[in-house]
Amino acid sequence: MSGTVDPRHPGHQAPPRRRTSLLARAVLALYPPSWRARYGDEVLMLLEDSGGRLREVVSVAWRALPAWFCSPRYLRDRSARIRASLSTALISGSLLAGLALFFAQVTQFQGYTTPGYPVVGWAYVVFDVALAVSALAVGVGGLPLWLLMLRRARREQRTRDLAYVLLPVIAPVTYLTGLAVTTRLVSGPHGVSQGWFWIITLAGFVAAAVAAAGPGVAMRRLRPRGPALHLAATAAAVSAATLTVAAVAIVVAIGGMSQYSRHQDGYVSPVLVLYLVPVLVAATVTAVSAARGARAARARA
Amino acid sequence: MTDRLDRWADPPLLVLASLADEPKHGYAITQDVAETMGVRISAGTLYAVIARLEARGLIEPLESDDRRRPYQITMAGAEVLAQESERMSKVASVARERLSIRLGWAGA
Repeated sequence: MSGTVDPRHPGHQAPPRRRTSLLARAVLALYPPSWRARYGDEVLMLLEDSGGRLREVVSVAWRALPAWFCSPRYLRDRSARIRASLSTALISGSLLAGLALFFAQVTQFQGYTTPGYPVVGWAYVVFDVALAVSALAVGVGGLPLWLLMLRRARREQRTRDLAYVLLPVIAPVTYLTGLAVTTRLVSGPHGVSQGWFWIITLAGFVAAAVAAAGPGVAMRRLRPRGPALHLAATAAAVSAATLTVAAVAIVVAIGGMSQYSRHQDGYVSPVLVLYLVPVLVAATVTAVSAARGARAARARA
Repeated sequence: MTDRLDRWADPPLLVLASLADEPKHGYAITQDVAETMGVRISAGTLYAVIARLEARGLIEPLESDDRRRPYQITMAGAEVLAQESERMSKVASVARERLSIRLGWAGA
C-alpha cells in the first residue's frame, strides 16, 4: 500500500485519497439530516479509503431506511425540530388565514346572509372568534421569540437577518399602503373591478407568504433555543387548533350556503367546493406541523 | 460455508473487540476486523453499528482535526466486551470438548 502513515494510529496506514463519487454523496442524502450531520463526513472518508467500491456504497444505501426509524435519541435536535415545524406551520397557517380572510371578504363583509339557514350565521360567529383567538395566540406566544431574534440580529449587526425578522411588519405595512393607494386610484362608483379584486387578493397572499417566510428563514439562520422557542411552539399549536376550528366553520358555512343556493336557484357553484380543497390541505399541514413542534417542545431532553 | 457463518458474527462485538487495544477510525476498524478476525464489515454496517454503540455509551468519539474521527471503547463497553468474551469462551470450550469426544479433534 502506498498510503501515508496515520499519525494517530501508527499501525494503520491511510490509503491514498480518491475522489468521493457523486453516487456516495447522493446515497448519504437518503439518511436523516441529523444522522448525516453527525456521521456523513466520516462515511464519505471511509468510502474514499475503501476505494469507493459500488458494493460499499450500496451497503450504505441499504442502511439508510433503518436510520430513519432507529435514529439515536442523542442525534435528535429538539430545537431544530421545533424550528422546522414552526417554519412550516407559519407558512401553511398564513395561507389558511389568507383563505379565511378571503372567505370573510366575499361573504360576511358583503353582508351575505342565508335566511332560513341559521347555521351559516353561527358558522360566521365561530369563524370570527376562532380567527381572533388564533391571531392572539400567535401574537402573544410568538412575541418573545420574535423579540429574541430581533435583539440578537441587532446586537450582532446581522442586517440581513434583521430584515428577515422584520418582514412580518414590513410586508403587511407595504401591502396595506399599496392597497390604500391602489383602491383610491382604481375604485369606481361600485368599488374595484373584478380584475383588480383578484390582483389585490393575489398580492395579499404574496404579502402573507413573505411575512411568514421571514421569521422562518431567520429561525434557520439564527437558530434560537430555549423557553421562547418552546412557548412559540405551544402558541403555534393553540393557533393551529383554532385555525382548524375556523376551517371547519368555513366548511359548515359553505355547506349551509350550498343548501341555501340549491333551494333558491337549484344550482351550487363548483367554485365553493374547489375553494375548500386548499382550505383543508392548509389546515391539515398547519395542524400536523404545529402538533409535531409542540410535541418536540414538551419532550424530555 | 465460511462466508455464511461470517454472517453470524456479531458486528457490534467485532467493533468493540477491535477498539479494545487502541482508538481507531472507521477504515482502521474495518481493516483490523478483516485482518485479525477474518470478517469483512461493510461501510453501511459499520456506521450503523457505530451509531448504536455510541448511543448506548459503549464507545465514544475522540476529537479530530481530520474527517476520519477515531473512536475509543468506554468502561461500559469494556465490561460488555469482557462479559461477551467470557460467554463466547464458554461456547468455544464446550464446542471443542464435544468435538474432541466425537471426532477426536484436538483443536488448533
